[in-house]
Amino acid sequence: MNFAQTLTQSGLNAFLASGGIAPDPLSGWFTNSMLVALVVMAVVLVFVKLATSNMSIIPNRKQNLLEFIFEFLYGQVEGVVGSKLAPKSFPILFTIFVFILTANWMGLIPGVGTVGFGKGSGFLTIDESDAHAEFHPLLRPATADLNMTFALAAVFMIVWIWIVVSEVGVKGFLDHTFGPKGGLTGFMKWALVPVFLFVGVIEVISIAFRPVTLSLRLLGNIFAGETLLHTMGHLGEILGFPDWLSMIGGVVFPLPFYFMEILVGLLQAVVFTLLCAVYIQVGASHDEEEHH
Amino acid sequence: MIALLAEFNLAVVPLLAAAEVHGAAAESSGGIGDAVAQFGFQWQSFLSQVITFLVVYFVLNKYAFPPIMGMLEERRRRIADGEENLKKIQQQLAQADERVAGMIDEANKEAERLIADARDSASAQREQRIQSAVNEASNIIAKAHEASKLEHERLMGELKREFGRLVVDTTGKVTGKVLDEKDRKRINEEAAGQIAL
Repeated sequence: MNFAQTLTQSGLNAFLASGGIAPDPLSGWFTNSMLVALVVMAVVLVFVKLATSNMSIIPNRKQNLLEFIFEFLYGQVEGVVGSKLAPKSFPILFTIFVFILTANWMGLIPGVGTVGFGKGSGFLTIDESDAHAEFHPLLRPATADLNMTFALAAVFMIVWIWIVVSEVGVKGFLDHTFGPKGGLTGFMKWALVPVFLFVGVIEVISIAFRPVTLSLRLLGNIFAGETLLHTMGHLGEILGFPDWLSMIGGVVFPLPFYFMEILVGLLQAVVFTLLCAVYIQVGASHDEEEHH
Repeated sequence: MIALLAEFNLAVVPLLAAAEVHGAAAESSGGIGDAVAQFGFQWQSFLSQVITFLVVYFVLNKYAFPPIMGMLEERRRRIADGEENLKKIQQQLAQADERVAGMIDEANKEAERLIADARDSASAQREQRIQSAVNEASNIIAKAHEASKLEHERLMGELKREFGRLVVDTTGKVTGKVLDEKDRKRINEEAAGQIAL
């Protein structure tokens, strides 16, 4: 039986043929990374549901873990954005952190990125016939897909705009961005207006590029980690080892990098979250100098 | 790089495949759209990922954060109450210690005063007892003297009477005369007078 063909005939051909980048606009949304994103969503929601059911002052283990993450992150966020902005900005930052962390670590589960359809290799290959020209994994890390990382960054930027506008208002934001700084008065203030306007334009461009930098940084790190693990997994074949040695090498070689990727997954979640916190702090902070 | 990864059937093929497909177009036109497409960006997928994340965000925001924040606040309040109670208890303990120290001090002073009183009282009582004993002893001695004197007088009386009787008997025998009552009385009186001397 050709498993890939069977599934292809069952109506998932667009998904399988594209590997998640299908040209068909109707089926293109359901990619392999989208499937993992849905699993991540389910895992996060189920865990939170279990942890918040029957909450008590003396917590059970799930509640304890959730509260630990919650309090740790709240402390970090409060340290960056301040106690006034923390309650407003914490929900989006917590969601981002938990979602990215879960997605990153879920990408390390054996089988994600390696079990799929098409041209295959190794002793577990069911059918080595060329059903497709290339290998299409059934699951891919959600954060190794630009659509996911850009979606995270885009949602954050929308929430960021809401927080900034609600805190300092549109006028306050424009003043903060384009207005003269340093408490200048008189002739110097008006003389430097063009300079500050130019700086404001650069600042706006910088803000506009934040979703791009955020999403590409996360994508690049997770994608690189995924590539590294797969390369290590196939190192035996690359070096021309016998099949049995390649199989052992496929387990042994990636192992140290798995631990590294666990740290990278955590680190990238922290970096993304803290950068978002910094953006909130920078955008929504009141210019104290103007009040003195 | 793409060729290398594709050769070993890596899982990143979909993304790289798209990059490879769109690579030539991007090189020729250099447009942002092509550059974005190289990274596999696609509107349908992007929007579906946005919706997925928004679902998580709204569900957590509505159903998870309030109970967690409430629980943490409740625990923080209890800890604060506990700390407050601990301070109160420590203050009360310190006050109790002070009170106990004061009471002990007062009790010590009272005990010293009682001991001093008792000592004075005992001293006075001892003096009184000694005086009483001395008086009693004096009385006993006086009574003994009195009794001794009375006994002495009684014995002297008896002695006088016996002596008188002996003198009368001796006189009668020496004289060979029967003494009448009058002689007896005179001889007795003379003998008693001699003894008294």
